[in-house]
Amino acid sequence: MTAAATEPLFELPPELAIDTDVARRVIAEFIRGQLRQAGFERAVLGLSGGIDSALVAYLTAEAIGDERLLCVLMPYRTSSPESRRDAELVVAQLGAASEVVEITPMVDGFFGLDGSAGAAGETGLEASSLRRGNFAARMRMAVLYDRSVTWGGLVVGTGNKTEALIGYTTIFGDSACAFNPIGDLYKSQVRQLSAAMGVPEAIIRKAPSADLWPGQTDEGEGGFSYPLLDRMLYWRIDRRRSTEEMEALGFDPALVARVDRMIAASEFKRQVPPIAKLGPRTAGVDYLYPRRRPGSARG
Amino acid sequence: MQSIRIALAQIAPRLGQLDENLARHHELIGEARGRGAGLVVFPELGLTGYLLQDLAADVAMRLDDPRLADLAGATAGMSAVVSFVEESADHRLFIAAALLEDGAIRHVHRKVFLPTYGLFDERRFFAAGDVLRAVPSRLGLGVGLAVCEDFWHLPVPQLLALDGAQLLVNVSSSPGRDLAATNEVGLGTATSWRTLMRTYAQLTTSFVVFCNRVGVDESISFWGGSEVIAPTGDVLFRAPLYDEGLFDVEVAPGDVRRERIALPLLRDERPELQLRELTRIVAERAGMAPDSTAEDGAEPGLDVRPAEAEHGGRPIGFGSRAR
Repeated sequence: MTAAATEPLFELPPELAIDTDVARRVIAEFIRGQLRQAGFERAVLGLSGGIDSALVAYLTAEAIGDERLLCVLMPYRTSSPESRRDAELVVAQLGAASEVVEITPMVDGFFGLDGSAGAAGETGLEASSLRRGNFAARMRMAVLYDRSVTWGGLVVGTGNKTEALIGYTTIFGDSACAFNPIGDLYKSQVRQLSAAMGVPEAIIRKAPSADLWPGQTDEGEGGFSYPLLDRMLYWRIDRRRSTEEMEALGFDPALVARVDRMIAASEFKRQVPPIAKLGPRTAGVDYLYPRRRPGSARG
Repeated sequence: MQSIRIALAQIAPRLGQLDENLARHHELIGEARGRGAGLVVFPELGLTGYLLQDLAADVAMRLDDPRLADLAGATAGMSAVVSFVEESADHRLFIAAALLEDGAIRHVHRKVFLPTYGLFDERRFFAAGDVLRAVPSRLGLGVGLAVCEDFWHLPVPQLLALDGAQLLVNVSSSPGRDLAATNEVGLGTATSWRTLMRTYAQLTTSFVVFCNRVGVDESISFWGGSEVIAPTGDVLFRAPLYDEGLFDVEVAPGDVRRERIALPLLRDERPELQLRELTRIVAERAGMAPDSTAEDGAEPGLDVRPAEAEHGGRPIGFGSRAR
């Protein structure tokens, strides 16, 4: 046996373990329900080669059939070839339709390339990796919503609960979608469900990365491991533990304080923007309807 | 006494699609009749879907609505429990469950407890019912109707049983949540409900029928798992989780008598003691009467003084315990 084979596929904190059969069942019904209520039969998603979008691809294919799913691979010139290879592995295993849309000309056309300015002007050449990363995420969103029309399918979200809570997302970028099947699953639970669904081992094992620059990893950037972060979020949010109780549970108070700040600072990313209340009835305030109701399915 | 076949219509109502749901009810009442069912039970808001919000007014029906009369008309020679949004003459909207029998609306229960916490927001859109009544049924059993959250309050099953119910029917739209692997069948909600249902059946020595919907409204998935429990607390039938279907189960009404003789809990209930103590507790909780068992400085409704103790005098009206 190789070392890799003896190493556990992933670390799953016991309190986060879910019943994956129930999760699969609920999520499949959820996906079918969302599509039916909107009058769609097909779905489209951005497949990065990472575990989140791979899992959503498996879940969607299981819910509606691989023939109704379009996976769009949207590499940028600095994206890792390994990501591309892993995404292609998912497509091959599922037998779903796929398409590669390079976003390089879109991103470089804006920020410029090799000293020649793009639409953003001279200063664009100096853009930080944060600006570039956000812009790339929004270009991918734009591609997916275009393919939503050409493929005739709804855009399925692929963001997990951990990144949504700490705000490790791009608003109107990777978080944009018609519905999200895994947004209430922590990263550790994404791994557990991925293993149960047969997502390729290589994808489950590799270090999560936004793949904005070579060698970048989420855990390297954030400074904590996902199992630890997931446990903190679980006890703090789902189980409503106070800061004192968190410390009693063995969490570092400084880390708890830091995570608390990240959660509070990203509240805006998880909510619909507020509308100034002026008229008698205002969407989201006192005009409250289900997103999908009689008449809202496309004809 | 003849056995009764109870059919559980574990359906996935379409949100806001009253006509479509009505048609489905007619279809399933017919199917239940074909299977020889004496009673068919549909889930909470089976005629409208659950997460209605401002749609509630659009799908509301008055009790004299011809569509309800039509549905009742389909119950000649049998009983059905259906649930919908009821609009009263003074335009309050209730979550209602109706017992339809032999072509007529025999009884209407308006949901008393409207959860408005966590993922629930019912009190914003609905009025709460004020009445709990058990009613006689053509089944030869007293029937007590309750809707979902009503059964998260201890007095409800007890009052219904004391009022003559031998068959407690709870219709629900219970959203499944907490998928922790340590839960029974991997779902926290199912674990809680199963515990409650068996406890109520045992303590009231009554049949308990639980009909919960399936399907998805927006973010939430309803888990089904409808059940029929015997007066002994034994589970007679459990429908699968998340599957739509019409499931039937045979019950022997004689079980009520046997169990109530073997385990005479209802005989030994002391409602007059409850009433006396409740009268006292209500006054004390309102701060209208001193609580003889409370520590000095305790808030009305609590016996223990807060840990931080000695705060100054209370505003007038907040507890009359000053001695």
